[in-house]
Amino acid sequence: MSASSPLLELDHVSASWGRLEVVRSVSFRVAEGELLTLLGPNGSGKTTLLRVIAGFERPTAGSVRLGGRDLAGIPPYRRSIGLLFQEPALFPHRTVLENIAYAPLLQRRRSEEVRSIVSELSGLLSLERLLDRRPDRLSGGEQQRVALARSLAARPKLILLDEPFASVDVEVRAGLHAEFRTALRQFGTAAIHVTHDREEGLFLGDRLALIFDGRLHAEGTPQEVFSRPTSERIASFLGYNVLAGPEGPVAVLPEEITCGPPSAPARTYTVRASGPVGRRYLSVLEGPGGGRVEVRSDAPLEPGASVGVSWSREVRLPR
Amino acid sequence: MRRPSSELVLLAAVVAVVGAFALVPAGELFARSLGPSGGLPALANAVTEPASQRTFSNSLVQGGLSAVLAVAVGYPAGVFVGRYRWFGRETVRAALLLPFLLPSLVMVLGVLDLFGGSGVVGGPVPAVRWFAAGIPGIVAVNLFYNVPIVVVLTATGCEASSSSLEETVASLGGSPARAYLEAWARPSWVGAACGGLLTFVFSALSFAPPILLCGSRCDTVEVRVYELAEVFGAPSSAGVLAFLLVVLFLAPALAYVLLRRRLRPARGWTARARPPPWGAPGTWALGATFAAVVGAELALVLAVVVRSVVPAGGGPLGQGWRLLGSATTAAHLGISVEGAVGNTLFFAALAAGVGIVLATASAFVTSRRPRTATGLGLLLFMPVLFSPVVLAEALATFWKPLLGGSANVWVLIVLSQSLLGLPFALQSLEIPLAGLPRAGAEAAETLGASSWAAYVDTELPRVRRGIQTAVLFAFALGLGEFTATNFLVTPRYETLPVAVYDLTSARLYPAAGAAAALLLLLSLVVFALIVVSGVDERE
Repeated sequence: MSASSPLLELDHVSASWGRLEVVRSVSFRVAEGELLTLLGPNGSGKTTLLRVIAGFERPTAGSVRLGGRDLAGIPPYRRSIGLLFQEPALFPHRTVLENIAYAPLLQRRRSEEVRSIVSELSGLLSLERLLDRRPDRLSGGEQQRVALARSLAARPKLILLDEPFASVDVEVRAGLHAEFRTALRQFGTAAIHVTHDREEGLFLGDRLALIFDGRLHAEGTPQEVFSRPTSERIASFLGYNVLAGPEGPVAVLPEEITCGPPSAPARTYTVRASGPVGRRYLSVLEGPGGGRVEVRSDAPLEPGASVGVSWSREVRLPR
Repeated sequence: MRRPSSELVLLAAVVAVVGAFALVPAGELFARSLGPSGGLPALANAVTEPASQRTFSNSLVQGGLSAVLAVAVGYPAGVFVGRYRWFGRETVRAALLLPFLLPSLVMVLGVLDLFGGSGVVGGPVPAVRWFAAGIPGIVAVNLFYNVPIVVVLTATGCEASSSSLEETVASLGGSPARAYLEAWARPSWVGAACGGLLTFVFSALSFAPPILLCGSRCDTVEVRVYELAEVFGAPSSAGVLAFLLVVLFLAPALAYVLLRRRLRPARGWTARARPPPWGAPGTWALGATFAAVVGAELALVLAVVVRSVVPAGGGPLGQGWRLLGSATTAAHLGISVEGAVGNTLFFAALAAGVGIVLATASAFVTSRRPRTATGLGLLLFMPVLFSPVVLAEALATFWKPLLGGSANVWVLIVLSQSLLGLPFALQSLEIPLAGLPRAGAEAAETLGASSWAAYVDTELPRVRRGIQTAVLFAFALGLGEFTATNFLVTPRYETLPVAVYDLTSARLYPAAGAAAALLLLLSLVVFALIVVSGVDERE
């Protein structure tokens, strides 16, 4: 395999649940060591796509190649692809140490090597104190760190992360994001991370792909995808307000909207609610046609009041 | 004053019903039997008496052999049902409950119709006649009756395993064999063990198979208790033996109740059935075993129907059916066949009604107070453990005088049928309830619903299939219940299973065969009505 060839290559992959096609002709590539985030709403086909890559579902069309090898017909346990779920699925009857050492022992590695792998991973993911505990005595965040350590210990070529932070407490989630990212970097393991959480998706991935209704809609660096929404639906999903501009619809971030006295009828909105979010205020306005707009401002707005809106920056959307 | 919680009220109601119609009468029977006979000496006498020893030995041998073979056949078939998705799976799985709809008496006739000297298979193939008499015949009947139980419980065990854990093992490089060991061997074997324990208890306490296929040398404890009470007029000796029976089978009953509690998916986990991996040779073996189980059950059912139309001795076609409807048969039974059918349906319907009410209340109590589950499970299993004969005798001696004699004995028939079916009806409800997230019920409670209202409004509608199965179990066991009913019944209330027994005992085989086929067809119609209503959502 040449240096430029991708580690994982999906070519027009489709998959169905019964008669319902949930993944439709999806193609993308993942390079060695790269972290790709698949971001999309619930029911968009993200998990099914991961299960196709892992080998738990068969694609109805297209091909999946890993390291240049077509994975068709190769069972999940021979694919060298790790998988983390929203629930950590740790072995409940094994300690943390035994969970991490599971795959190296399965691979019949020498005991010194197993010890070294466990030591390295437990250090990297701050699990040293927990090695002799059983999973039921760990917090949600700790369980996910063990699950990642266990997956990395198998030395897979690729790890699939199926919303592993979704059931973790908010206060530990950011730290966990950083730890996962560092561990994957350090091991040089490529990963595909699926999430419906916008901020998590934008933060974690080297590249970001948006998936709606089973189709890939945009792909690029997180910055590229975020700064150039290509449709009203993508703009809304990324947190933009979609407003009527003079030459068609535009996407405007809540921070970039300014409220003032009522002006032109088309830009006059009614304040429906307003409240503090940290040091700023979030207000929800309703436009003449019933469309809603979010605004972040330094001062609260009076509910029921009519305000005129203007904005400093916009992204034009195709009609 | 603080009102008692609805869980406690319902728990008290369930305990009161089971206590009044099983524990107290049985306790009174045991006390009466042990009291005048001298307590321990009477027990010692019963233990050392050769006839009792033989019946205990028969029970253990027949129960043990049947349980081991039922698990050996039922486990692979259950794995095929529990793990793989194939067309018609849910319908075939529901059809596996059909043997429960039949009394063991019909199974006996079926085995004779299949393997007997003039049987459908035994006629042309003499080698299989070995299965039509003696211990092999009894074990064959027990297997026809119990293998489906092992299949269904093993399948439930497979579904209680975690798909995520299994897939994780695969993603770590573990082979399917490793995934089996780590993720689903345990729950599937818990299911099989539950089935094996039930098979052991049912087979060790069987009544009709040893009487009709072997004779007194194969009598189980159940038969001996019946003979002592009804034939030899020694109710005290029967009571002492019944007490020993309960003591002996308490351990497997408790083991079953404890294991059954582990046969539940963790909340929110569901093991997904997947298409069978036909590339693996093991899949073919599993599928072949399952096909053999279904084929054997089907053959037995067909043999009963065919024999009812084509008499074994070469008489005219349909002779059995004509005889069944004749005035001679009605005179012999003391009731017309239509009357027996009416009684059977009436008792089974009432028993199912009482059973589902008690099961729903019990499932509510165990879902809200899990710590009561083992105790309540064992309590509800006690009538089964007493055995139908002991339960019937206890009910008859304690309640019959209070109810004004034989005129109201139908109440006792209904109660015995519902109490004997209750643990299985409860199980059909408890398992799906345990897999439900509690969020729905908790949301309803925050909206002002009582705990009971939240259960009825948010949880019961989501386990419709479990309720259907619970009703099926309760109705089925009532429809086919023979032993307790036979003990209690008067000619006016004679049911179809009792009629089959009476006609068989009188050697009126063509009419008995037709009555068995009628019971079978009746069961099939009821089964189809209940299953068809739930198939669409499942498939």
